Amino acid sequence: MTSRHHDLDERTVELSVIAPLYNEEENVPHLHRAIVEAVRPLGRTVEIILVDDGSRDGTFARCLELPRHDPPLRLIKLRRNAGQTAAMVAGIDHARGEILITMDGDLQNDPGDIPLFLDKIAEGYDLVVGWRHQRQDHWSRVLPSKVANWLIGAVTGVPIKDNGCSLKAYRASMIKRIPLYNEMHRFIPAMASLSAPRIAQIKVRHHPRRFGSSKYGFNRIWKVFMDLLTIRTLISFSRRPSVWLGSVAAVSGGLATLSLVIALVITLEQPPHPTVVVSGLAVLLGSLSIFAVFLAFLLQLVYRTTATRFRPFLTMAAKVMPPADRLAGDTP
Amino acid sequence: MTRRLDRLTAVVTVMRETPDLEATHEAYLEALRAQADDVSMVYVVDGPWPQARAVLRDLKRRGAPIEVLMFAQPFGEAAALSVGLQAARGDAVVTMPAEPQLEPADLPLLLAGLEHADLVIGRRSHVMEESSGRGRKLDGLVNRLFDTSLRDIRSPVRAFRGDAARELILYGNQNQFVPLLAQAQGFVTIEVDVRTRPRATRSRRRLTYDVSVALDLLTVWFLLRFMRKPFRFFGGFGFTVLAVGVLLTAWLVAARLFFGVPLVDRPALILTTLLVVLGIQVISVGLIGEIVTFSYAKDIKDYRVERLVDAEPAPPPRRPADLPAGVA
Repeated sequence: MTSRHHDLDERTVELSVIAPLYNEEENVPHLHRAIVEAVRPLGRTVEIILVDDGSRDGTFARCLELPRHDPPLRLIKLRRNAGQTAAMVAGIDHARGEILITMDGDLQNDPGDIPLFLDKIAEGYDLVVGWRHQRQDHWSRVLPSKVANWLIGAVTGVPIKDNGCSLKAYRASMIKRIPLYNEMHRFIPAMASLSAPRIAQIKVRHHPRRFGSSKYGFNRIWKVFMDLLTIRTLISFSRRPSVWLGSVAAVSGGLATLSLVIALVITLEQPPHPTVVVSGLAVLLGSLSIFAVFLAFLLQLVYRTTATRFRPFLTMAAKVMPPADRLAGDTP
Repeated sequence: MTRRLDRLTAVVTVMRETPDLEATHEAYLEALRAQADDVSMVYVVDGPWPQARAVLRDLKRRGAPIEVLMFAQPFGEAAALSVGLQAARGDAVVTMPAEPQLEPADLPLLLAGLEHADLVIGRRSHVMEESSGRGRKLDGLVNRLFDTSLRDIRSPVRAFRGDAARELILYGNQNQFVPLLAQAQGFVTIEVDVRTRPRATRSRRRLTYDVSVALDLLTVWFLLRFMRKPFRFFGGFGFTVLAVGVLLTAWLVAARLFFGVPLVDRPALILTTLLVVLGIQVISVGLIGEIVTFSYAKDIKDYRVERLVDAEPAPPPRRPADLPAGVA
């Protein structure tokens, strides 16, 4: 991505604040002012990135009215509504900062919390996740999200108290390499765990919506469950490509052997007794086992042909030990 | 058309030997020249058609503003169209049939539509007059499947904004569904009525053709809906089958344990196990699909930037406040 204006490219941007917007015309000026008030006292080079995710109201027109520098503002208008994940990725792709902060466009997050996130990053964490410990929402939204968070932690092995909080801080070098698509904005810590980041959680303030209406319906646990299984498979695949299919093969192979043994025992002990059913079972489960073995080989093929895409995760996971003088302040 | 275009390119795919190619070319060129100063045409000849080649070679020799791309074997209309659109240089690109079907005087109608759309489909009058028929049924099915309301999806008469033409990704054999693919890729698509007449040389309609269109339709449906989340497709089916299989097996086992119905003798057990096996297989294949999608995820962008506006150079501002964007 090349910029026409080189004033930012010449020096380093330390921090990019990214907010996706979808039909938020009333919130835009308030959001911008809140971010500016939060980042100005930091004394760092900051840029603000607003992504208009194909809004049908005057969101982009409001954005164009905002002051464009101090801190510099980058506006991205997407051709059509691409969804929250894609809008966030658009912001991340176009961000020039070393540290990225993402937040909701609806002012439910408080930009005043940004300094806390920066402190954590300075402590050496790669990903800092906000936790809305006092949510200003109806229980009918809080409860499904608690169930979802528990499920996400249980399945992916990354126990995060609040995956739904958009306020997060990332090291750009880490997050830019993680593929995010579909509806993965809900599972960023789990996806980031591909590169074994150090993750911190901090409590953040949470405001009820001031304008507009909420863009979420009820959490659809079923979809979350399918996405989770996917993510778990991806993580497992990126480390040991064929393990999950290997276990399918082993379990079904074991059951097939068991059926075979039962069939043999019945044949030997009660000679006239028919064993077609139990032998059929052995054949079915055995064929599943063989099928899984072949799929496992197919996976090896996929892994080898796409290995270059997974190498960055390994490189990121292998952390270089910091110099001795910084070890004292290191966190466990 | 309120404003004249700078550069206009027409893409014509020549799928078979076509009578009157030269006359059609002259008519098109005249109509194009009325719309823009810099006019060019791209001909894609899909196969070894000696007459068509001779006509085009002759036109080229006489200095006609054409570029001719030739396939030694027929690769199909989607391939020809895709190559032609890539080669088109214009700010606006129109695609037109190689036979004199389109009334060239209606070209301005198409181009006028580009004022507020990325893709304009020309609704063919001879198709619109047909009230029923296979083609109409297919369009109805497509509209229901994709939740669109297009009335002549497969029209070969189209006008693209230049960058839309070059950015559009056509999968395999899917020239039939250009507006669907364009809408899915975020291009605003509209339809306008144009006057056309049926082709003089009717190609034979075969059953295999209908079958292949149906398969293409399914492919497009799957790709547009599930390319980024294949497990939603495979998993939905796989888990349903698995659940049915597990429940029935559990019932059989319960019958054995509590009611003494012998299990080893029941063929029903084979059926339920078969369901479990099928479910696990479909789920596994779906997860492999996710791995393939993930592996290439960084190469495919889920968003299209329409406009990127940057901060003006910090003080002193050199330009007025409403600085036009550099579009990514």
